[in-house]
Amino acid sequence: MTPSPQSASPEHEPPSRRTLLRWGALGGAGLALGPLSACAGPTGAPGPGTLTLGLNRSLVSLDNKLNQFDAAITVQRAVRQALTRIGPRMKVQHVLADRFEMTEPTAWTVRLREGVRYSDGSPVTVEDVATALRMYAKVNGSFILGLFPELPTVEPTGERTFRLRTERPVPVLDRLMANIHITPAAANRPEELQSGLGSGPYRVVKANGGAGEYTLARNTRYWGPRPHVDTVRVRFVPEEASRVIALRSGELDVVDTLTPDSAEQLTGLPGVTVQETSGVRICQLFFNFRKPKGHPLADPRVRRALTYAIDGESLIRDVLTDSADPAEGVVPLALEGAVRTGSYTYDPAKAKSLLKSLGADDVRIKIIWESGEFAADTSVMEAVVDMLQEIGVRARLQQFQPGGDILKWRQGRGGDWDVIGNGFPGTTGQALTSLQGMYGGTAEKERTRDTYMGFVVPHIEQQLSDAAVEVDATERNKKLVAVQHTIWDTWPCLWAFAPKTLLARRDRVRDLDLLTLNSYDLSAVRLEG
Amino acid sequence: MPTYLARRLGQSLLTVFLTLTTVFLLVRLAPGDPAAAYAPPSASSADLARIRAEFGLDDPLFTQYGIFLRDLFTGNLGTSYSFHAPAFDVVMDRMPYTVTLAVAALAVTTLVAVPLGVWMARRADTKRELGANVMTIAGQSMPDFWTGVMLLTVFAVLFPVLPASGFTTWSGLVLPTLTVAVLQLALVSRLVRREMVSALTSPYVTVARSRGVSEHALTWRYALGNSAVPLVTALGTRFAALLNGVVVVEVVFGWPGVGSLVVRALETRDYPLIQATVLVTATLAILVQLLVDLAYPLLDPRVRLGKAA
Repeated sequence: MTPSPQSASPEHEPPSRRTLLRWGALGGAGLALGPLSACAGPTGAPGPGTLTLGLNRSLVSLDNKLNQFDAAITVQRAVRQALTRIGPRMKVQHVLADRFEMTEPTAWTVRLREGVRYSDGSPVTVEDVATALRMYAKVNGSFILGLFPELPTVEPTGERTFRLRTERPVPVLDRLMANIHITPAAANRPEELQSGLGSGPYRVVKANGGAGEYTLARNTRYWGPRPHVDTVRVRFVPEEASRVIALRSGELDVVDTLTPDSAEQLTGLPGVTVQETSGVRICQLFFNFRKPKGHPLADPRVRRALTYAIDGESLIRDVLTDSADPAEGVVPLALEGAVRTGSYTYDPAKAKSLLKSLGADDVRIKIIWESGEFAADTSVMEAVVDMLQEIGVRARLQQFQPGGDILKWRQGRGGDWDVIGNGFPGTTGQALTSLQGMYGGTAEKERTRDTYMGFVVPHIEQQLSDAAVEVDATERNKKLVAVQHTIWDTWPCLWAFAPKTLLARRDRVRDLDLLTLNSYDLSAVRLEG
Repeated sequence: MPTYLARRLGQSLLTVFLTLTTVFLLVRLAPGDPAAAYAPPSASSADLARIRAEFGLDDPLFTQYGIFLRDLFTGNLGTSYSFHAPAFDVVMDRMPYTVTLAVAALAVTTLVAVPLGVWMARRADTKRELGANVMTIAGQSMPDFWTGVMLLTVFAVLFPVLPASGFTTWSGLVLPTLTVAVLQLALVSRLVRREMVSALTSPYVTVARSRGVSEHALTWRYALGNSAVPLVTALGTRFAALLNGVVVVEVVFGWPGVGSLVVRALETRDYPLIQATVLVTATLAILVQLLVDLAYPLLDPRVRLGKAA
């Protein structure tokens, strides 16, 4: 039997088992080694002209319509800019505008700086500002919208000039507008923008929003002073211990929003500097103001008596390792317009006798909070329980996991509680917005449980509303001082503190001016060597 | 073979579908409100209601499920609440990192565990084998976060020769790979050892030895060849598990894989992202298992797919 030419030809034989296995092995090796070819450099340390930032939260985009947290501001503003910004000592600085002044109680006259342009060379226009405001207004769940009593409308008055008009006076509009980032009108959408076209000192050259990694390069068309650093790499490193190690090894240049423990570890290490400023966030053990009349906690004298049980000094020193300032007012003192209204005093004997005299010595306290609400939250809460027990008050804790039902409980829909551990941010840098957010509750808002822990005191709300529309700065400050004292006298908190803003950097990073708002101007940062 | 393949593909599709349905229901039964996680702390009840309406969360569960299925069949997995981008794209941004780590870890595991298992089988029940056993089990017993932190401390802090986090250079792969591989070593090497001991005492090996086949060929060609099916099954299962992400290792090394993405999605009650991640990882895991099954006839000619033994 003669084999057919086809069957005799080896190139037409089906691959053998062995051949298939070899192909599989080669494919596997290729798959494993392929991604490696895209990488370069063995150590991971940034190059001489590259600044690497390690963020604790993922920067999902370089837009702030829906996504604004402390460290993101630094990066977002390096790419997109606003008309103004809050600079050192909480002063308003002009950015895209070179004139921004109140010319009527309900109108501000604004002029765009001459020559301001985006990284593609196109100029920043009045239409861009109008569109930006419209787009911010259309977004559901915007962090920014909650800061504005009302969004202004734009009335163009010239090629570079316009008026921002509101229905009621908004005397702090220049500060609020620091949060509205300007994007070319044609590219703006009522959603988080994924592209990074802006007028800032840097432009985006590589972005992976899913992984929170960005590479920014110097904007060669930047209208302002040339930034000192060529390239900025932004990385998301969620675990703090990893960020600390990466900073120590020189892989990261800057890590921000440090916890007290990490700051302590890094302090004094060669090549590393820890910077701190007063914070604008207040962390409170806030009383539940939804208690019925006759409940001991509905009586401000009982609330005050309980505050004497808390040894704030020890908590700050031993638990928070001096990384916070005790609250001496109802909002952090770093905020513009905040005043000292008093302080928490530790006097357990007085607490005990006051509670007894008020007939509240059998009061029981349930404290709730969400994990991670502030640094060392669990340790603080456990210490507070011990302190309350010292004066004979039995306290118990209920901790919620992030994403759980804490909101329902805050609104009084989940169950009863007495004290909540809660942090309130001071994003605008001014006392007024924080005061309104916490203490401006009305009966109408309470119907939908939209007040801050049920805090509804009509005369305080009225005082705040008066201050909010007062266009005379001196008069407004007087009103603010008065209302803060009135609020303090209601004893809304068992205890409160303002965590300091902590950042660590390699010593090669220079001129990093950490602002109270936990951000800094990237274009001013220099790299040594 | 085509019938077998069609049946397995059908089974795989059903598995993915049932997994997705289970996840769809479970995440909605868990406590927490996506709108509250999405909105700023200052959001009012009206804001939350608007967000719920926008996300379709105020629809009855059955309607939500219908919309989910309709979108699924049109390839739309929804927009991630926390990333404000298509959920599928967010997962695919992370997937290369997870696949790279999984492949590298599995490669290291195979390269070390197989020779080690063979070595242990050749020295079964000796003191040296006991020593190797102790070492591999110790590696498996160490929690992965501890192994990771120790490796970081030594190679990124005390002797800073490797990056501490992320995947910015090829060397960034080394420490997470080792951490994952250490955990797999004991499992795979002990499996190889058991199969090899059994194979090396089989009659066919005795016959081959009596016919003068070298010990090297007996071990690596005959015995290991016959141990290949359980070995590949075990490696396939490990690989499929690694594709779901190694959360702790990802967190310790700042590795932007899908494991940490799922954790974040769960924390923020990001339903579309949870569902997209499950879809992608479940599909990949099932695909890997299918490939493992298809590889059996290549590894053992006696195996006929779709036919009873």
